[in-house]
Amino acid sequence: MLGFTKGLKYTLKNLTKEKVTYNYPDVPMEMPDRFRGIQKFYPEKCIVCNQCANICPTDCITLTGKKHPDPDKKGKIIDTYDINFEICILCDLCTEVCPTEAIIMTNNFELAEYSRDELFKDLQWLDENDTNKRKENKT
Amino acid sequence: MIDQMLAASPNLMNTFLFFTIAAAFLMVILGFVTYAILAERKVLGFMQMRVGPNRVGGRWGLLQTVADVLKLLIKEDTIPKLADRPLFILAPVLAFTPAFLVLVVIPFSENLKFADLGIGLLYYIAISGITTIGILTAGWASNNKYALLGGMRSAAQMISYEIPLVMSVIGVVLLTGSLNLNEIVAAQENWAFIFIQPVAFIIFLIASIAELNRTPFDLPEAESELVAGYHVEFSGFRWAFFMLAEYVYLFAMASLTTVLFLGGWQPIPFLGFIPGIVWFALKFILIVFIMIWIRGTLPRLRADQLMSFGWKVLLPLALANIFLTAIIKELINSF
Amino acid sequence: MIRTEEMLLNVGPQHPSTHGVFRIVLKIDGEQIVEATPVIGYLHRGTEKLAEDLQYTQIIPYTDRMDYLAAMTNNYVICHAVETMMDLEVPERAEYLRVLVMELGRIASHLVWFGTYLLDIGAMSPFLYAFREREVIINLLNEISGGRLTFNYMRVGGVKWDAPEGWIDKVRDFVPYMREQLAGYHDLVTGNEIFLARVKGIGKYTKEEALAYSLSGANLRCTGVKWDLRKDEPYSIYDRFDFDIPAREEGDAWSRYQCRMAEIEEALKIIEQAVEQFPDEGKIMAKVPRIIKPPAGETYVRIESPRGEIGCYIASKGKKEPYRLKFRRPSFYNLQILPKLLKGENISNLIAILGGVDIVLGEVDG
Repeated sequence: MLGFTKGLKYTLKNLTKEKVTYNYPDVPMEMPDRFRGIQKFYPEKCIVCNQCANICPTDCITLTGKKHPDPDKKGKIIDTYDINFEICILCDLCTEVCPTEAIIMTNNFELAEYSRDELFKDLQWLDENDTNKRKENKT
Repeated sequence: MIDQMLAASPNLMNTFLFFTIAAAFLMVILGFVTYAILAERKVLGFMQMRVGPNRVGGRWGLLQTVADVLKLLIKEDTIPKLADRPLFILAPVLAFTPAFLVLVVIPFSENLKFADLGIGLLYYIAISGITTIGILTAGWASNNKYALLGGMRSAAQMISYEIPLVMSVIGVVLLTGSLNLNEIVAAQENWAFIFIQPVAFIIFLIASIAELNRTPFDLPEAESELVAGYHVEFSGFRWAFFMLAEYVYLFAMASLTTVLFLGGWQPIPFLGFIPGIVWFALKFILIVFIMIWIRGTLPRLRADQLMSFGWKVLLPLALANIFLTAIIKELINSF
Repeated sequence: MIRTEEMLLNVGPQHPSTHGVFRIVLKIDGEQIVEATPVIGYLHRGTEKLAEDLQYTQIIPYTDRMDYLAAMTNNYVICHAVETMMDLEVPERAEYLRVLVMELGRIASHLVWFGTYLLDIGAMSPFLYAFREREVIINLLNEISGGRLTFNYMRVGGVKWDAPEGWIDKVRDFVPYMREQLAGYHDLVTGNEIFLARVKGIGKYTKEEALAYSLSGANLRCTGVKWDLRKDEPYSIYDRFDFDIPAREEGDAWSRYQCRMAEIEEALKIIEQAVEQFPDEGKIMAKVPRIIKPPAGETYVRIESPRGEIGCYIASKGKKEPYRLKFRRPSFYNLQILPKLLKGENISNLIAILGGVDIVLGEVDG
């Protein structure tokens, strides 16, 4: 048999096979739990240790802390927390070093915006981003 | 009906009628082109485990091509600054017009036919050659190196494959004794020529795919090599004209194959109650499907391989087929 | 007498089959190439320079973006280099996970190569079939690492995540599935006469030339040199597996194709064995100090990536950042032979040769 007829048979056989494409965006994509999407931030858990900002390979996290309002308590609480998603590479290192799991990953991966300014996510946005949170954050 | 009109003395009424019929036919062809493109994308999609167009016009993407054409119509018409302007404008027209002209001679059923030319087959081959000039013009006028290469490839390819194409048909012509397409169909009442002339059919099919610039012979527009070949600088409706020409030729070539080798509107024995036009359509769709199927499977040939295949394989085969047919015909006649 | 003129043709940086932003300046006579000059650097991001300001853990996500089709091997080479410097013992389970993901990545990378190569020479279907299987692999890797392309999975001293529940079984099921599909590819492509006519005898070079140009991977093995670091300088736990090194003698694009397709089968063999030997439990991370500071000195390690020999040189001064870091990027070295191969060929062959070399521009430009 000629070699290319085998190929013709193969393509014809596939004509009736079940399709493998995803019906995205009509059906949302289900990502596995470990998937690294945009971060979620818990201001109340943060101890302003600066580890996330230090480990970030692209320096996209900037944060400032302030004194605890309750004078009896030691330590700082978070004041501003910004992630610049223009340069964030979603490498997961910030969540890996966070000692209190104040910053975790979510499965939200649809990051497209109409303006670059909107890619600059502040504390409020990151706090409100609390859908599809990752369950397993530490190994 | 058309025969009578052709014989009638010219008057305004006739002119108007002809115009209407031609316009109606044009619409039918455009309708075919619309859905041929959709069918191609759908069949290819299904072969490749995906669904193809499915967003415009319902689940089957029925209006996808319409939307595409609409988009091309409202697109900005750009002509490169250093292009040869008159030729650049003329090229799509040159490529497209012959595609419609050749349809005149093709009989779709016993009654549905236009010009009944005595040299119908010759007419088809001769006119379709003009398209090459259009493509060559486009390649030259664009003032683009990729386009030029594409145009040159196209000219070389068309010339080398037109010869085996014609030669393969001569067997059929010998058996029929006529170049008239109606008579060729009539001669296939008992046996379609595909059974009597199988070699000729295979050569014709290969050469026709090459003539249509389809995979595996799509060198003039080889996307991965020449980006888009001769129409790389064309956009908007000028580009649409090339695409249209390509698909109208697909229509014409599939019709011609049906007429020459599959017996046109002749039914399969015992199923004569189904009208001829349905038979024609079925055979025609089969040919179109085979072309899409081949496109979905095969890689592209190289330019020099294409040439040597045309001249060293197809042409000698076609010539041998002519000799064989002539000898057999003489032997049968002498007994 | 016909007067002909040589013409300068820019192929790329935006061209459908230069696989990214690669540019070749061709001097052509008709369709024949007289001279070819590759121009690279359109995707240069300065990974090596950036690394000098980064901690070792921070470099890992950058390596994902070099050879983005097989990021796992890149992850491994940097971790392996640091581990060698620090004399770290990586837990067994972590090594098995590393081998599994690396071999899966190797198959995924070869599948992309197979698909795009066929796309380059004009067949569109194999591309989509190859991506169907690649999607299965990508989903597997996504499940274990949380990324579909840039995995950032390995760490110095181990891996980031343990295998999730049922993952090993999925990998086990993948092996027979992939074997079946591979047979389909051979039906579709390998026997095809047009394909054979396009690749046989194209882009030929000898063993000596390949060694002189320092080619590696399938580009070297296609000339008959059985050189595979997994066998010749076993790293990780590759000495525990039984597999062959596919090699051919011809040194043309066809033999490179055969080598790569056979490598998929060998990778499947390794995966099969690794799944069988996979330890039921164990740590996935060695005891590593919080801040990684390799002792002062230099080290060079090399491993076998899908594209060839990927190496990592680290010069450390005992700080938490490397003093100098250098990657030996196989695509870059393999690409060097291109001008020589292209001389005298025609434009159709340019695509068949360039595709056969299997380059990833992220890796070429670094």
